[in-house]
Amino acid sequence: MDFFYVLLQLISAIMVAPLFDGISRKLRAKFQSRMGPSIFQTYYDIYKLLKRGRTKSHSASYIYQIAPYVLFISAAAMFCALPITYGTNAIALSQFSDIFVLLYLGALFRFTFIVAGFDTANPFSGVSASREGTMGFYTEEVAVICLIVVMMGAGSTNLPFIVHSVLEGHYGYAIPSFSIAATAFLWVMYVETGRKPYDLAEAEQELQEGVLGEFCGKDFALIDIAILLKQFAVLGFFLVIFVPWGIVENPILSLIIFLAEVGFLYVMGVFIDNFGPRFTMNKGMKRTMLYALAVSCTALVLYIMGI
Amino acid sequence: MQTIYTLFLLASLLSLLLYKKPLLAQKVGFGLASVISLYAAIFFFSNLNDTLLWKLPGSFISAPLFRLDSLGMFFSFLVSLVAFAVSLFSFDYAKFYENKANLAVFASLFNAFILSMLLVIASDNVFSFMLLWEVMTLISALLILINDGKDAGKNVMIYLGIAQIGAFCLMVALLIMASVAGSFEFSKFAEMEIGFGMSLTLFVLLLIGLGSKAGMFPFHVWLPLAYCQCPSNASALMSGVMIKVALFAFIKFSLLLPSLVQFGYILLFVGALSCIFGIIYALISNDYKAAIAYSSCENVGIIFLGLGGAFYGLGTNSPTIALLGFVAGFFHILNHAVFKSLLFMLSGNVYTATQTRNMDLLGGLHKKMPITSIIFFVAVIAICALPPLNGFASEWVVYKTMVMGGIHEGVVSRFFFTLAIIALSITGAMAIMAFSKVYGAIFLGVARDTQKIENAKEVSFIRLLPLSLLASLCVGIGVFMNDVIGMLSNIVFTLIPQTTTSIQGLISMPIIIMVMLLCAIIPFVLLYLLKANHKEARITDPWACGFLYNKNMQIGSNAFTGDIKKALSFILRYESEVKIDGYFSKAVYTHKTHDLFWEKLYAPVIDFIMVIADKIGVFQNGRTNLYAGYILIYLCLILMFGYYYL
Repeated sequence: MDFFYVLLQLISAIMVAPLFDGISRKLRAKFQSRMGPSIFQTYYDIYKLLKRGRTKSHSASYIYQIAPYVLFISAAAMFCALPITYGTNAIALSQFSDIFVLLYLGALFRFTFIVAGFDTANPFSGVSASREGTMGFYTEEVAVICLIVVMMGAGSTNLPFIVHSVLEGHYGYAIPSFSIAATAFLWVMYVETGRKPYDLAEAEQELQEGVLGEFCGKDFALIDIAILLKQFAVLGFFLVIFVPWGIVENPILSLIIFLAEVGFLYVMGVFIDNFGPRFTMNKGMKRTMLYALAVSCTALVLYIMGI
Repeated sequence: MQTIYTLFLLASLLSLLLYKKPLLAQKVGFGLASVISLYAAIFFFSNLNDTLLWKLPGSFISAPLFRLDSLGMFFSFLVSLVAFAVSLFSFDYAKFYENKANLAVFASLFNAFILSMLLVIASDNVFSFMLLWEVMTLISALLILINDGKDAGKNVMIYLGIAQIGAFCLMVALLIMASVAGSFEFSKFAEMEIGFGMSLTLFVLLLIGLGSKAGMFPFHVWLPLAYCQCPSNASALMSGVMIKVALFAFIKFSLLLPSLVQFGYILLFVGALSCIFGIIYALISNDYKAAIAYSSCENVGIIFLGLGGAFYGLGTNSPTIALLGFVAGFFHILNHAVFKSLLFMLSGNVYTATQTRNMDLLGGLHKKMPITSIIFFVAVIAICALPPLNGFASEWVVYKTMVMGGIHEGVVSRFFFTLAIIALSITGAMAIMAFSKVYGAIFLGVARDTQKIENAKEVSFIRLLPLSLLASLCVGIGVFMNDVIGMLSNIVFTLIPQTTTSIQGLISMPIIIMVMLLCAIIPFVLLYLLKANHKEARITDPWACGFLYNKNMQIGSNAFTGDIKKALSFILRYESEVKIDGYFSKAVYTHKTHDLFWEKLYAPVIDFIMVIADKIGVFQNGRTNLYAGYILIYLCLILMFGYYYL
């Protein structure tokens, strides 16, 4: 039964994620005084890509073949690790829903991205693979510092357990370090969704997605879905830890509330995305991530002091 | 147990006797080694929970006692397991060194090296331990010299120098312990009564003595030099198991001291530094073997983090943390032995095929060596600690230990444990970059130097067999992580009787795999339902913005780490230089990275010693009269000393 709910959780996310993407595209267009595409445009795009033929680089090896699937699996597994439709009672799945499992599934996603970038021998995918790795270096420690506060404060790395204790009020916003960590964590999760000012394009090709420069047709469609799922998973990661009140007894209801929340955050991202400046790689990351790091370190120091 | 040691000795002697026929000696020596170590691995594994004793017959060198308890059995098993794979690999690989050294000597040294490691683990008194320890160091130094080259002498001297610093500290620590305990036998050491300051000093001495051999920061400088110089099978043994022998001795001796919380803090701190610096140097090196070598420093750091948690647990009387910590340490020791020896052997395959260690010249090797490439990919996933392989399993246990330790009240413990987690997470992020780069630059993309790649071909079946064996072990240990943890906790129970709790709240790898498989179904269903276009892809050049594609357009290993090098410029020193003469000639780009700790810590000391040696040299000028004079002066001094003080 638990596995059924997880499947439901995943499939419904795949179904609605393009809708929210469409809404945010529409909203961004309105900001820029354009008509903008229909809010169902992302569905059309994916459908169109599925029907297209493909070309591939002569250097592409098996990595090119499996990359779309591995990216999809890691993003989907990340999303499944969020305990939305199942709680602490789900014995099997609570052995899976763990903070480090989620983080390292994210790492698997990044790893596949980088290796795929090398595989095609495309100059742009190489540069953007390098950027993907460097971004990971910048964001990982901030995310982990915030999570340290949460894990040690709640006393476990198990996500359902943490959600449960925040819901029950054993642990939560009454503790200063937790609330400060929430700020920094939301920041990092926004960075992970890869929008401006963390988009870091320096050429005509959008470099952060430059890895995908050589992908096309059904492969590209799958990767598109995988990226959407990953963005949902990282925003959901913030939500289940820091805003878990949408998770109720009824799994279907909590799934609906959760998807609405994630969608809302996703669309709200446009407000930063649209007005965010473009930085160069080193300046942008160094300058902006330092603040996030400082915030998270404040939370950590407060935790160490026992506040 | 005796049989195994005797057999290794005989194999070593036999291959030496065949020195007139090197090729036969290679087959006999490495073949015997693989058979004996397979037998040894089975033997040690089946006796994992027993204690065996053995004495040298007669009164040969004061009849030292050899003793294997549960911990020793585990490490002996590890040595023989890796030795089995490596010797099977060398059965074919060693002929590559035919022109550099006599293969009979190589095979003989190889057997002797395995034997010396097994005996170090088993030896039960100070004298035999130190003797065998030095023998092990010397044999490994000779193995480095098998691949004689331009810098071989220098690299071996650095290795031996650091080994000597270590052996000195170790000797001092053991002698102090022996004098306090009143016996040279390790089994009598347990009843020592020593104060706080003394035990801390002993601990630090042990850490320097054994950590330097394990490649701990800041003694990591010998790692890239020695491992790159070595033939790959020898570096697989050295990195896979020799540093584990050092860790074994460290665990064994430091458990004899009264446990203090400070031990845990020291280990956590050193471990965190080792992790970070090890992986930074691994990340920026353009030599794949050096990258793998530096990552040994990183992995030893991770092991130290686990052990640090364990000592903290012992010091604060919290059996759960102690148990978790030791299990984490042992688990990562096991995993590192498997994937690191695998990676070194694979790098040997790459080197024999291409004759270069520079990643900026390689690329596209997957097309030539597909099986090596796929095994390399598995090893890379394991070392990057990605689910669902074994590296992730053990790192997860390390993380769990750190979190459990950090929950305790107390500013100091929280500080050290959070420091450890942050270090580990940064390491994780950089390890992914470092090893995706190593894999991508060697096997993927287009060949950067076509001449190097042209003649590369897949290695023989006998070389691939042990590699695929270790690769499947990487997967197997990952999947059955809970059983392995159960087995390791049994060893910890015999080691520290007070830890009788079992580990709760583990993740379950089969369920992770099941969820991943469940997710894997969805894309296929989706593609089927929406009737995707499954036509075969058209092969083209990579897209280069409309320009004609050139293989130099793809990213190289050096450029890949450019951004992160700039970000880390506060702890890294590098120089890059671009030489352009004229518009039409090719620009020459040179890049050099310095090991800061070599320049700041070691180079001044070496320079100082050179100066002193120069000054002392005045005394030794070859004149016999002067030497007679020295003897005269010495005699006078001794007589005066004897007259007044005795």
